[in-house]
Amino acid sequence: MADRRRINGPVGATTPPIFDKPAAPVPAKTRDAIRKIFLKTGITPSASGSAYLELENPNPKKLGNTSLKLSCTVHGPRALPRSAPFSPHIILTTHVKYAPFATRQRRGYLRDSSERDLGVHLETALRGAIIADRWPKSGVDIIVTVVEGDQDRDSPESQKDDEGWDMMNVLSGCITVASAAIADAGIDCVDTVAGGVAALVCKDDKTAPTIVMDPIVAEHGSILAACCVAYLPTRDEITNMWFKGRLPGSDMMVYDKLMEKSLVACRCANRVIVQELNETVRKSQEIS
Amino acid sequence: MAQTIAIPGQLLGPSNKYVAGPGTHIHEANLYSSVLGTVTVAQPEKKSVPGPAKRLNKIAGLPSAPAQQLPTISVSRTGISEKREVLPEVGNIVLCRVTRIQPRQATVAILVVGETVLEAEWQGVIRPQDVRATEKDKVKIYESFRPGDIVRAQVISLGDQASYYLATASNELGVIMATSEAGNNMYPVSWKEYRDPETGINENRKVAKPF
Repeated sequence: MADRRRINGPVGATTPPIFDKPAAPVPAKTRDAIRKIFLKTGITPSASGSAYLELENPNPKKLGNTSLKLSCTVHGPRALPRSAPFSPHIILTTHVKYAPFATRQRRGYLRDSSERDLGVHLETALRGAIIADRWPKSGVDIIVTVVEGDQDRDSPESQKDDEGWDMMNVLSGCITVASAAIADAGIDCVDTVAGGVAALVCKDDKTAPTIVMDPIVAEHGSILAACCVAYLPTRDEITNMWFKGRLPGSDMMVYDKLMEKSLVACRCANRVIVQELNETVRKSQEIS
Repeated sequence: MAQTIAIPGQLLGPSNKYVAGPGTHIHEANLYSSVLGTVTVAQPEKKSVPGPAKRLNKIAGLPSAPAQQLPTISVSRTGISEKREVLPEVGNIVLCRVTRIQPRQATVAILVVGETVLEAEWQGVIRPQDVRATEKDKVKIYESFRPGDIVRAQVISLGDQASYYLATASNELGVIMATSEAGNNMYPVSWKEYRDPETGINENRKVAKPF
């Protein structure tokens, strides 16, 4: 349904025409770690719990090259609406919404199917971590706003067809930021769940594909497959897994390797959550 | 003094050495923290010699487990955030405001649970049979509560989807603050009457015994 009540910006990229060859894509750095994560809790005073997550921009000097910026708010636990039936446990509602300016393609104000999809994945990931029966008859709303969607907006020419690989990175960020916000809200969890992505990439047709953690979509020649996992590190349990793409049939172990790399990425992200939560408590202790 | 910080999923100790308090959970015979906060270990109280056993005249809760010798470990959020939500639980004493009276029930909004002021408002219901312990069949809701009264009550059930069930069947429970029809604050004169100091008119309430 078209949104006719607001004056929407133009659909699609609006880069001015440049009659020059696009800048050579920066070769992918061989990182054996995820990008640096900035995480902070308690940024929205009106919410019960909140967190903000930002991924390091790999090429900050390059204009138009953006990274991932997410803001998460948790409202509740609060009373369910009157119409809702009795529930002996907490009712979890998740919303993931892209800001209209977050991606190359301008997003509408109404949630589209990919945003709903991310919301469902996020709900599954969090449901495994929350102790739901501590809060009977109550509901909690978890809202993640994607402020910047981890897409290279440099030049339309260098853009490959959008296959939605960046959604994997967005989901893993959503899981990590929501986990921190839930802990900030004081909702009982069995563990701090964290998200991580690994992808099977190849530079061109000649070279053999390699597995990278936390892939930067714009930097890799092509992505064959990617895997996003939500993981509870102390329990060693996976609450959600999203696998996408095609694997070359030659190597049977590549699927396992991809999963293992995602788990390493999850552990890295979890370390950031643990550090930030410790920091939060320490700060409040200093004040009091 | 810096206390030990616990984050969700942090190992606190084996479950045969501690009793799980609030903010913790047990997984595979180990105690883990389930909220973000500071760890407190409470030593068990010295058991006093029980006096002569009273005859049971009401249904008491289940007797507490014999493993009270173990220290209780709990994770509290005090000081981290004022916004820690609590839910009314069965047995809690709550303070509430009467929002609506009907012949079969009084609807209240729960404002305070124990010592904690709630962020959200939870709805509760007091049925006529729960207003007082004696002469239950003669209770009339409109002679016990009026909208706007502040009531001290006890949670007796999680209730239905909308409201908790509350009871005032005890001397200490009932209306603690009431306004007369003239709009003045009243003072209690008996277990069932409040008096307006200006007009001198008595109004019926289920009065809580002043401390």
